[in-house]
Amino acid sequence: MSEQSIPENAVSAAQNINPAMSASRAVPAVPAPQTVDLSYKMKRNIGLTLEYLFLIGMTIFAIFPLYYVLQASFNATQQLITTTLQLFPQSPTLGDYTYILGQTSFLHWLLNTTLLVGGSTFLGLIISVLGAYALSRFKFKGRLSTLTFLLALQAFPGLLAITAYYQILQSLHLTGTLEGLLLIYTAGSIIFGAWNIKGYFDTLPKELEEAAYVDGASPFRTFWQIMLPLASPSIAATALISFIGGFNEFALANLVLTPNADQSNITVTVGLFSLANNHSTPWGYFAAASVLVTVPLVIIFLLLQRYLQSGLTIGSVKG
Amino acid sequence: MLQVKKPTIALFLLPTFLFIALINIFPIAYTVYISLTNENTFNEFLQNYHFVGLKNFQSILSEANTALIPVVLLTLLYVAICIGSFLIIGMLTAMILNDKRIRGLKIWRALIILPWAMPSFVTALIWKFLFDYNFGPFNNILRYFTQNVNAGVNWLGSPIPAFIAVVVVNLWLSYPFFTIVILGALQSIPEELNDAAKVDGASTWQRFREVTLPLLVPAITPITVMSGITTFQMFNTVWLITAGGPFTDITKPGATDFVMLYFYNYFTTGAFTNYGKAAATAIIVFILLLIAILAGFRLTGFNREETAK
Repeated sequence: MSEQSIPENAVSAAQNINPAMSASRAVPAVPAPQTVDLSYKMKRNIGLTLEYLFLIGMTIFAIFPLYYVLQASFNATQQLITTTLQLFPQSPTLGDYTYILGQTSFLHWLLNTTLLVGGSTFLGLIISVLGAYALSRFKFKGRLSTLTFLLALQAFPGLLAITAYYQILQSLHLTGTLEGLLLIYTAGSIIFGAWNIKGYFDTLPKELEEAAYVDGASPFRTFWQIMLPLASPSIAATALISFIGGFNEFALANLVLTPNADQSNITVTVGLFSLANNHSTPWGYFAAASVLVTVPLVIIFLLLQRYLQSGLTIGSVKG
Repeated sequence: MLQVKKPTIALFLLPTFLFIALINIFPIAYTVYISLTNENTFNEFLQNYHFVGLKNFQSILSEANTALIPVVLLTLLYVAICIGSFLIIGMLTAMILNDKRIRGLKIWRALIILPWAMPSFVTALIWKFLFDYNFGPFNNILRYFTQNVNAGVNWLGSPIPAFIAVVVVNLWLSYPFFTIVILGALQSIPEELNDAAKVDGASTWQRFREVTLPLLVPAITPITVMSGITTFQMFNTVWLITAGGPFTDITKPGATDFVMLYFYNYFTTGAFTNYGKAAATAIIVFILLLIAILAGFRLTGFNREETAK
């Protein structure tokens, strides 16, 4: 390893000065004392073995919950309520899946969450991208204090203002509805979005816009046709993060939504929570439902992962 | 900076401000207002509550020794333990994933960051079952190895195991982010630096301390601060697993009753809610968070670049 990584020019320089050294390179047998070599090798091997052991341990830790829920979802439900260790389905069935898809409002929950979070992410992006552009590019009084003010507001956890939300939703006649929740989620994604996309706009060169302005394009046209496409990596990353955040939100959804008789008007989080905590429903049902939610999300996430790394400006490694 | 007409600027900013005024500023102002009244479940209905000044704040501070202070200290302890374990595990995994002698690095990497890709509310509910006293696999594994049917830790039912459980779950959720960021930083360190130190006879530990670590600090500091803040206001995961419990004494906060959970429980449990006092608690929590965040920015120099412009 160390031989390989000596820079090329250093080696050739050494060759020029000292021909003996180049000879020793060609015939690498200037034998070091056997014992030293062995103990060094052993040390290296022990180190490598420990690294592999640690990796195996961490992998088990990382995948165990997913593995367990996956095997549980194929287990006949009654077999889960057991005090003996069971890591493989005894007689695999799809019973839990057919129950979840046929007997519960699971597909409604999924649709509700997708529309709700998709809607709030989309709306939040439109609003925050406009704000981000103004905050990054336009010269106006109070630009910096606006930025700081937005960050301070972000520190206020929405959960603390639940009474106020209730008042707002009541005056808009949206209590207990997904539309009301959409409003809250949208606002929740704006500040992060504005800051993150603004950070990305900051890194784009100004010359492009200046040329457009000189050619007589309006600020809005410049924004729409030139800057927006350039900012797409950070828009994608912001969308992904807002979507994940909204998808996982439980506390507000649980307080705001009032489930109807067949529970078809709630989100996935609230629905899964009721499945997991209702002691009369077998855990296998919950397991099947969570596999149905998790697997597509894991695939989407792994596919979009690289956007996350290029488009995140808040807290990212700028050096 | 571009010179643009004022109405144009206003047009760009208007939607942001409208939404923020309605969903961010109004609720804060409203919460401040309620915190100065004696609104509760009874007089809220009759609409006959009135201003009481700072009475709610006084009453919270007078009982701070039994509620607020223990809750904040417990939360800080949780933050410290969590962040410490994220850093250790994140650093170890990143350094191993940066070792080119390991075969199949890409596969190991994908497996190890898998928790990051899973929706956290689902995994919280899964973990809750894993820790279940009667049927959870952890206790079943324990029974299998001890060959004792009565063996088992009451994970979520006794204070210290419950605390450990929520640390483990948070570690599981958060270390992949640390791994990825630290790995990225490690890969940007030129190999020549390490080799030079090796030639100079530095040991592995010395190379880590004197070469690698100082170069990692700029990458680690911001994620540590950010993660500290999100852990401080953690709610979803802990609430789904322990709901703040176990509660050994009704008059005292539970073993995992961190700041946000304490507020939520105060607000939602029981038929009678003192909204005025709940709002005052919210304001105090907000101020604490704001202090934490400002201190965090000072520490990372997050705003430095921006204010220097």
